[in-house]
Amino acid sequence: MIKAGFIGFGRMGMTHFSILNIHPSVQAVAVCDQSATMLKIAKKYLNVQTYTDYEKMLDECQLDCVIISTPGDSHAEIMKVCLQRGLHIFVEKPLAMTVLDGQSVIAELGARPLVNQVGYVNRFNEVFMEIKQLLARDLIGNVVNFSSEMYGATVLKDSKSGWRSNKKAGGGCMFEFASHCIDLVVYLFDKPDSVAGSVLQSIYSSEVEDLVSSTFIYKKGLSGSISVNWSDETFRKPVNIIKIFGTHGKIIADKHSFKIYLKKSDNLNGFDPGWNTRYITDFARSVRFYVRGNEFTRQLDYFVDCIEGRVSDNVACFSEGLKTDILMEEITKDAAMQAGRAIMASGGVAALGRTPERKSFWKKLFRSKEKKYA
Amino acid sequence: MLDRIIFGDNQFFGINHMSEDKAQALAERFKNLKAITDVIETAYDCGIRAFMFNTHERTADICEYLRRNESRLREIVLYPSMPYAHKYANAVAEKGIFGAIKEFIVTGSTAGDILEMLTKGGMTLFEQDTIKVMQILIDMEMKMFRGLNVKVVFLQNIVTDLLLGFRAKDYLTGFVSYVRSRYGVDAGFNTMNMPMLVDFLIECGIENPIVCSSINKAGYLMNPDKGAYEKSLKEKTFCAMAMSVLASGGIKPRDAIEYVCNQKAIKSIVFGASSRQHIIETKELIEKYS
Repeated sequence: MIKAGFIGFGRMGMTHFSILNIHPSVQAVAVCDQSATMLKIAKKYLNVQTYTDYEKMLDECQLDCVIISTPGDSHAEIMKVCLQRGLHIFVEKPLAMTVLDGQSVIAELGARPLVNQVGYVNRFNEVFMEIKQLLARDLIGNVVNFSSEMYGATVLKDSKSGWRSNKKAGGGCMFEFASHCIDLVVYLFDKPDSVAGSVLQSIYSSEVEDLVSSTFIYKKGLSGSISVNWSDETFRKPVNIIKIFGTHGKIIADKHSFKIYLKKSDNLNGFDPGWNTRYITDFARSVRFYVRGNEFTRQLDYFVDCIEGRVSDNVACFSEGLKTDILMEEITKDAAMQAGRAIMASGGVAALGRTPERKSFWKKLFRSKEKKYA
Repeated sequence: MLDRIIFGDNQFFGINHMSEDKAQALAERFKNLKAITDVIETAYDCGIRAFMFNTHERTADICEYLRRNESRLREIVLYPSMPYAHKYANAVAEKGIFGAIKEFIVTGSTAGDILEMLTKGGMTLFEQDTIKVMQILIDMEMKMFRGLNVKVVFLQNIVTDLLLGFRAKDYLTGFVSYVRSRYGVDAGFNTMNMPMLVDFLIECGIENPIVCSSINKAGYLMNPDKGAYEKSLKEKTFCAMAMSVLASGGIKPRDAIEYVCNQKAIKSIVFGASSRQHIIETKELIEKYS
């Protein structure tokens, strides 16, 4: 049996626990969280050891793997300690808060034969897995352009409570939301060579961005855009939409269906020339146990399969996660440059406050400049 | 005795498991309450008496409509399913699970309710008796159905399945016993993992449990697989209810209904539709193959 410890027992931690708790190869041994209430409940009803100090948990429980679902700012430190103790790691996205932190985790991993996976769950969605295969077959020819969009109604008012509205703790639309959209691009097309025209914009939040957009440029003659907004109340739950244009066709996909336009028919998939629609009901695959979406189970079962040596490709490994961290940092830098240019173009800092809804954003920028030159 | 045909509500809330486009079209179509109540009236006209409603924010308005038109719609029976998880998702993201529950309880309560809770132990309840917290939440969700004829109260699948993974027997049995004692009706469970849940509920000592799950010819949303569902239906003693029988439109209606009706252990069939023609067609197919 693989002995698993859970660090972080919020919404994702509980979901992961539920899924792995009844995996035939896994024994859920211990839970670590900051919430005394949560731990009392876990101890009483879940038959596990509970800890507030993860190192104590690692000392006392003979674990084989950990599931880390804490806020992003704690990931790097926890992962390094776990790696030093020879534990397989599944960590919720993003890998770390900075590229430097992410790199230090990968350096710590080194050549250790440990399974390392980041919770980029879109890589386990049946539609996106199918699209990846279609692209590998060059079905739509050379891919020239794409757009990857993600929308949801996660933040509809300013909130100062909780780590999700705290940038330093790993909150904000970029880390929490856009990371999935960016990872989907990395999964399908790999990392772009540069980013341009990036914008981080606040809609309701005063401390973090609610909207992220950017243009991705590849030397191989491919370009694309991302557009992410977690303050869009027209969406009942988060959606990803990806549109891919190629020289021989086009694909439009979301988590539940895709449309493909082809110039020629494709016998292997039974696609006719013109538009073809495929729904998830056509190729959905069941899982041993479903909680909140079968991709959540698929990604954790894959993690266990990797530990038990049944698969070895490790599709959501740390080095893949680092690519998204790098892109998030590049987008943030690019957006700051764009914002700086905008200030110059609008008459310098004298333009502050012209647009009321952006006031806090400009103010923040101004404050950070003040600090820099103080 | 469960109703053979139960009208579902996913379409009213822009839920379609097959396509975001269809979900969007539904959200547009059912923007106004009248569009929803018109379909409910149509279903009633067609002879459907049982309706399953998630405790979506808009369900309170639907219930208000049903109360106002009680004389005409007096035979309606309801199968509420709770909680509507997305209602809590953002609050949970913002405040954590307990913060969200506290907020929900406080905003949904009258001053008298809160006073009563305080005398019962106040917010320390969270630490000492989460079963009691669950009971308070059930009462809050049930408020919208006051005065209406409720037949079975369901625990929604996200919560059921999370608890199933936890092997949290006390919450599942606690749900059944509280719904029975407080509301005098049976409790049921929605799940995406019917075979495993049925085994666990029986293991928990819940006799002849009511379990509603996706059952369709395509095997869609049937975990671990269709074969395991068919085996449970043949071998286990439980009240089986089938939903997603049309797999969100992925199967031809005739084939879909014939398959479900051939599973003789299925007591009732939940389906949703938006037009008179589809309601009549599906109802007639169920009656024909039953």
